[in-house]
Amino acid sequence: MSTPALELLKVKKTIRNKEIIKGLDFTVNKGEVFGFIGPNGAGKTTTIRMIVGLMKLTEGDIRILGNSIKSNFKGAIEKVGAIVENPELYPYMTGWQNLKHYARMFPNITDERIKEVVSIVKMEKPIHQKVKRYSLGMRQRLGIAQAILHKPAVLILDEPTNGLDPAGIREIRQYIRKLAKEEEIAVIISSHLLSEIEQMCDRIGIIKNGELIAIQDVHESNEGEQKTNNVPILLDAHPIEKAEEIIQTTFQIEVQKREGFLSFQSEREQIPSIIQSLVQQDISIYQVATSKTTLEDKFFDLIGENTIE
Amino acid sequence: MSNFLKLIYNEVLKIFIKKSTWIMFALLAIILVGFAFLNNTLVEEYTKDNWKDKLHQENMELQKELDEAKEGSDDFFKEFALSEIERNNYHIEHDIMPLQNGAWSFAHDGSTILGLVSMFTIIIAAGIVANEFNHGTIKLLLIRPIQRSTILLSKYLTVLLFGLFTTIILLFLSLGIGAIFFGIEEMPQIVLEQQDGFTHVSLIKETILKYSYYFVNVIIFATLAFMISVLFRSNALAIGVSIFLLLTGGAIVQFLSDREWAKYILFANTNLKQYANGSPPFEGMTLSFSITVLAVYYLIFITLTWFSFTKRDVAGT
Repeated sequence: MSTPALELLKVKKTIRNKEIIKGLDFTVNKGEVFGFIGPNGAGKTTTIRMIVGLMKLTEGDIRILGNSIKSNFKGAIEKVGAIVENPELYPYMTGWQNLKHYARMFPNITDERIKEVVSIVKMEKPIHQKVKRYSLGMRQRLGIAQAILHKPAVLILDEPTNGLDPAGIREIRQYIRKLAKEEEIAVIISSHLLSEIEQMCDRIGIIKNGELIAIQDVHESNEGEQKTNNVPILLDAHPIEKAEEIIQTTFQIEVQKREGFLSFQSEREQIPSIIQSLVQQDISIYQVATSKTTLEDKFFDLIGENTIE
Repeated sequence: MSNFLKLIYNEVLKIFIKKSTWIMFALLAIILVGFAFLNNTLVEEYTKDNWKDKLHQENMELQKELDEAKEGSDDFFKEFALSEIERNNYHIEHDIMPLQNGAWSFAHDGSTILGLVSMFTIIIAAGIVANEFNHGTIKLLLIRPIQRSTILLSKYLTVLLFGLFTTIILLFLSLGIGAIFFGIEEMPQIVLEQQDGFTHVSLIKETILKYSYYFVNVIIFATLAFMISVLFRSNALAIGVSIFLLLTGGAIVQFLSDREWAKYILFANTNLKQYANGSPPFEGMTLSFSITVLAVYYLIFITLTWFSFTKRDVAGT
């Protein structure tokens, strides 16, 4: 297997005797979009700041295409493009001047490349206006433009959909997928809005209180679970007690009552016969629904309350 | 363009793209034009033909006042009058006409607002790092394949370049405005008082020396403001403290002048010209003493700045 685009090896960060990051360990491969989610204060931004070298690691190491950010900062960081927190650019310069400014910090970035990037993020029109006149969405686009200027192998976007309208979000989403696929870029996206990044990620890591508590393959959770034998079902029936009893005794399935519904799991093939036997015993059925456990539910199950220690 | 020059270019660009920077230069020009108007309204005291007679006359008047004041105890006046008489005699003896309005004498007088150059350079030095933190742009600046120390150096050198540029601009502005208002003198000479009597030098040389020596002051205050800006990441604090010390440094030294250690205060040593002519504020101070003191302060400033900028985390606000 080739070198992973990004590796975090037992990364710890202690600030004023308080362990903020408690040993993060994960890799992101080339061409993969990795979602990094967690509640506010969980350590997302601290982790991102360590990946891009803004903060030093207390323990562990971070490697970008095998280059350690600690011992080979230049070699590691030249492969990284990033937005950290908000896309903060020089307000008194135009978008174009901002991009030129960052372009001068790399060896060979031509004006053609800058123009190309500007058209990728669809900023041709306002590029010669001052950044202080930009909306948050425009700044977000310009932020992405400066991050991909030097064709990085790892792209880190902190809350990239912040301030974008739905059309803008869709555009960015498509663009990020395209970057990952066609240019084999590893993309790390942080967000607290799971639903937004769920659709553009291959894998999602959930961070809570400085620990990675789960890594979830997005496609697996969507398709994989539906095929398994246990489909979660919600049933609205009357009388509810009788229905509960029938299901429990006849089908040997454990049933729970939840908000006036019966909730249980069964095999897909079994669903018609359950309904049939309920109807035969004069139970009125108002609604049968298979409930899909979304990542969102999982997220809340894992995170519990949004606590900040 | 080499990579480092491109960094300097970036920093210079960020300074001069702001209108506030241009206001500084406009302010210098306005003040100088104001001075020129004021000078213009004064009647020329001396002319080529009468200046010797006038100086003789002045001396006689001064002597008369001295004789009358003999019994009095006004030592300060006596000293002043005697020195003036001596100076006038020197002019007459060496056939050096007292300074006339002209480009060079105007530029020489213009050196009194060199303090503004320090002030403007302080403002630039205070902002060049702190503003990156204020705007949040420091994050995007430091995630480039360039060492932090290189970025810091490019910023520091830009500050010094700005100070140098502004000093030169003040010289040329005052020469230009002086020339427009009064014309350019031919071979002007200035009479200077030194510890062992009077001497005369070319005014051109003396003016350029004055500006050059003052650049030491610009460097020291720029470095001080730059350090505060890096240590505290605060623009306002760096400007406030530095300008306060710029304005009160001399007074602080004077206030503490009866203490032996006062000569080690930074501000007692920033004026190196006091060794060329004039007298140092403390006995036993020499040029090499001052240079050593300045070097020690400078190294401390630079070390703290470098250490803070390269080692500290850039954390959220």
